Formats: sequence, structure tokens, C-alpha cells
Amino acid sequence: MLIRAAYVTLSSLLLMGLVISGCAKKPATTATSAAAPAPEPTPRAAAPQAPSPSAAPSTAAPAAPAPLAGPAAPRPSPKDFTAVDALKDIHFDFDKYDVRPEDAKTLDANASWLKSNAENLVLIEGHCDERGTNEYNLALGERRAKATMNYLVSQGIQANRITIISYGEERPVCNEKTDSCYAKNRRAHFLVKPR
Amino acid sequence: MRRLAAAALLLALAAVTPLALWAPPPAARAQAVDVYINITGGDKSKKINIAVPDFTLLSGTDTAVPKLLASVIGNDLTLSGFFSVVAATGSIPANNPAALAQTWSAFAAAGAHAGVHGLVATRGDRLEAEMRLYDLTTPEHRLIASRKFESPAPQSRRLAHRISDEIVLQFTGEAGVADTKMAYVVGPPGSKEIVVADYDGAAAANATRNASINLSPAWSPDARSIAFTSFMNGYPDLFRLFPFERQRPVQTLASFVGINSSPGWSPDGRYLALTLSKDGNPEIYVLTLATGVLQRLTRHAGIDTEPTWSPSGQQIAFVSDRAGQPRIFVMDKDGGNVRQLTSGGFHTQPRWSPKGDPIVYTQRSGTHDLWAISPGGSSPRQLTSGQGDNQSATWAPDGRHLAFQSNRTGRWQLFFLTVDGQTTTQVTQGTNEATSPSWSPRLP
Repeated sequence: MLIRAAYVTLSSLLLMGLVISGCAKKPATTATSAAAPAPEPTPRAAAPQAPSPSAAPSTAAPAAPAPLAGPAAPRPSPKDFTAVDALKDIHFDFDKYDVRPEDAKTLDANASWLKSNAENLVLIEGHCDERGTNEYNLALGERRAKATMNYLVSQGIQANRITIISYGEERPVCNEKTDSCYAKNRRAHFLVKPR
Repeated sequence: MRRLAAAALLLALAAVTPLALWAPPPAARAQAVDVYINITGGDKSKKINIAVPDFTLLSGTDTAVPKLLASVIGNDLTLSGFFSVVAATGSIPANNPAALAQTWSAFAAAGAHAGVHGLVATRGDRLEAEMRLYDLTTPEHRLIASRKFESPAPQSRRLAHRISDEIVLQFTGEAGVADTKMAYVVGPPGSKEIVVADYDGAAAANATRNASINLSPAWSPDARSIAFTSFMNGYPDLFRLFPFERQRPVQTLASFVGINSSPGWSPDGRYLALTLSKDGNPEIYVLTLATGVLQRLTRHAGIDTEPTWSPSGQQIAFVSDRAGQPRIFVMDKDGGNVRQLTSGGFHTQPRWSPKGDPIVYTQRSGTHDLWAISPGGSSPRQLTSGQGDNQSATWAPDGRHLAFQSNRTGRWQLFFLTVDGQTTTQVTQGTNEATSPSWSPRLP
């Protein structure tokens, strides 16, 4: 520990601290009330307003329309897409984004349905299990969705019918910490909407 | 060591000093402070025992303030890792040197090496405080420093944090990190909002409230804005919010097709490194905030993400799976001179120390734990082990403390760790999950 030169006399007393340290006592006024949890923030809770910068984060106002970077490319709203029974999920190995042979059959069937339902656009969601970490999983889910899209394109589905989105580990279908649950969550999921 | 009965540790002044029997009674009550011993946490032998009695209220009627200030400062000093706080009840009478000397003598007898005499006055909507720091190892109780502070009355916690940082400065030569904020994510999967609290988890308030998924908050170096990823417009786009400017709208930073994620601020705040997949797969880019110009840094078929800048601004560490599993790599700020930093594991979440060394990261090996490695790549060192998952580290501006998320208590909560590994302290206590902390720079 750094201590200013003028204060080095303290070091001679540190032995004393060692002695005292054995005498732990229930805190009197210290610390406990300072660490008392504040009213707990919850998702969607009203945000209290107070002077800056002591508290008072602003609630997120509507986002400004023009992004600093990036064409606000026209992207269909994910909310407009709905699931159909005919399109089945495919699944992935841990930390992998290649389409497994058994899942290729599922994708072939999905491609056939999309061909015979050509009025539909498709949204492919890429998902991960909770292992690994958020930001990496967001990238991994993107790769899964992209690999799935590439397979469908290779089967003759027009790329401009397909939109992809990664949810990373943020939207599990199964919430237990088991291998079978993790396997269900590592998936590409399909939603459609009319053109 | 023998644990003494609690009552034996109460050193009422009159009982300790026979002097009190001989001296004429002081004008004010000299026996205002009862001294306790409260040594908590960590490697005690290296800590300074410091007394922080209640502040002396000079004017005003809010008797909660003197206690609050002492309480918050005591907690700050404990969290700093440098101090063990000798607790007490009561305050030192104003303008009474005899009472002051008597109080410090009692604290010194109880093992205190230093004492904080705080004085506070409330004037209208302002708080005025003075901190006087004494060396109790000298017979005359030498005054080490005194400094005045003021703040708006509702910001008494922040006033206490500023005083704490001054005390740490006096002892270590570098200000403490109590006058900072913590941004983090609250909520279960599918419904995550960003929250801003004091660094110690107190006074938490929502910074987003969009009923969406908000991730990866990252404070700007000027401590005025927070970059984050949000699905508020349907897709994972990158935004920044201004937590201290109520009317200022959220700014959209990047909304390309694909992911817009992993904000990493350059130390000068002029650039934001980020991950975009607009060109086919997740790659790292640098966005110039003033112009919106993008520069692509990585060109690889694998995943490249989670950029973190060196404090010099010359290098960027990041995650890539180009070696099979995700590992930590380092490149120059223009994307050149890429080299692999870690090997033999599943490594994500690099966080470059604001002091330059080390880089902390998360290793997945069954569970997740924090490790530290020098930017030169030598001798990785494990910081957490055997207590659930421990990940998402964020550095305090002193490069000495880390906050991180752990599920060791059953759900995700935030914890502090001193990088020397001495102490771990739980920060958040709520029933909600708290994840992805970002420790702000010192507030302006």
C-alpha cells in the first residue's frame, strides 16, 4: 500500500491493527445503513427524477430518427412475423454455427415450404444457450442465423426474401441449467409474413 | 484470536480516561462519542484503522445527515480496501478542543490510527461540510488535512463519496473511486433494462424503460453518456443515452443490418469501437463520434467482437474465434499487427486496465471465472474460483477495483473484487438479476 511519506509512522502501528482485527464486533453505525439497498429498480418501473448527476437517469426518450452511422436500411419489423407449424427449428452444437447433417434435412423441408409459399418473407432468428457470454453469444447467434440463411439460399430461396436477427442468449425457450435445455436453446427459429 | 464479548469492546470515554475525573467538566458534553471496534474484511494487517464518528451538526435541523455522512464514508473507506473502520456512536461537540482530544485519545486507545472529524451545516438547499483528518498515532493528534465541500442538499450521499475520495487521496496519493456511478442491466432474459446507481449500488434508477432487451452498457470517458445495445427498434442496434440530461433523447449510433453491438470507448472519448455484421460476419469497426465515419479493423471469416482499448489508445484487445474457440487477441488501433494473447481455453470479455496492465477476461471451463493476463501475454492469473460463475468484469478508474457479475448466491448479482485478490464484496442485493456492470469514470 502506498502511504504518503509524512504518514509512514503508521506502519509501526500496523501490528496493533493485527491485534485489533481479532476483535471483530457487530458494526455499530458503520457501513450497514450506507449499503442498504435502494428501492429496487425493475424493468419497466417508473424512473424517479432528481437533480443530476447524483441520481436521476433520464428515461430513454424515443430514439432519434437518424442514426449517426449506417443507412437505416429498411428492415421489416420482427413483430410482423409469425410462426408457422410447417417451418421447424434447427439446432446447433455448443459454440458451433455449421448446419449439422440431420438438420439439413429439416432445412430442405423448410426450403420446400418456402418455395411453395412464395408470397411469404421469412425471418430467421439465431439463438444461443446461456453459456459463454452475452456479447459473444450475440455474434454467435448472428452466425447461426446467417449459416441457416446461406443454406436456404443454396437451396434456391431468394436472399431478398430472408431477414436474419440474432437474439444471442437473450430469448431461451428453456430455462433449466441442463444439457437438454441448452441444446433446445441453441437454435435457428423461423417466422414468416406475407410480402 | 479470542473473540471478546461485544460489551467489552464498548469503550465509553469516561471509563477509559481517568483524566476525565480530574479535569473540570468541559462546557459541552465531552462524552458524546462511544467508541467501538469494527474491523471488517480482507487482509487486516495491512489496513489503516480509521475512526469516522458522526458528523458534527453546526446548523440546520436534519439530524439524519450527520449520521448518513459518517455511515456512507465508513462504507466507502471499507470498500476502498485500504481501511478498517473503527465505528462509533455520537458526534464530537463543536468548538471543543478538549472533547476532541479526549475523543481521539479514546479512539487511539482502541487501535485507531487516524480519525475523521466531519462538520456539516445545512443552509437552505445547500450542504456545507468540512472534513478534518487527524493522525492518531502522534501524541498531539496531528491534523493531516482539512478540506471544505458543498453540495445541493439532496446529494448528501455524493458529498460523502467526495469526502471519502479525498481521504483516500490523503493516504495513497490517488483519489478514491467512491464518487462514481455503476451502470448495469437488470431483469430476466427477454426483459432487460439499464439501471444507473451509485458505485456502491445505492440510489439505483432506471436509465432505460423501453420494455425491450437492453445490453452492454459502457460509460463514455467523460462520464456523461452510456453506449449500449438495444432491441428497442426490433433489431440489435447501438445507442447512447445521457443519464444526467433529462430532456436529451437517446442517440442512435449504428443501426446497420445485422448486429450492432459491443461498444468500447477510446480513452479520449472521440471514438467508439463496435461490432457490426453488415459486411457478412461480426467484425470490429471504429466509429468517429464527431463525424459518423466508420473504419473497419478486422477482416476475418470468424467472429470478431468485444473490443477494449488500451489506456494509451494505441491498441485494441478483442475476442476472435479464428483459432477455433474464442480467445483474446490484440491489434493496433488501425487493425494491423494482430497477435493472439490467450490460448488453451474459451476466453471472452477482455477488459483492459485503465492503468495499462493487466487485461482481465472471462474463461469458461465448466463455469466462468475471471482471469488476468499482462498485455504481453505472460502468466495468466486466476482471480475467481469455486464460487459459481463470475464474469463481465469492469474496471474502476483506479485500476485497482473490479466489479463483476456472479451467480454464487443463486441469481446474478454484482460484486467488487480488488485486483490483488484480497477482498470480494457483494454490491447488489435485489431479487432481480443484475448483470453487465460498467463502472463510470470519476464524475466531473
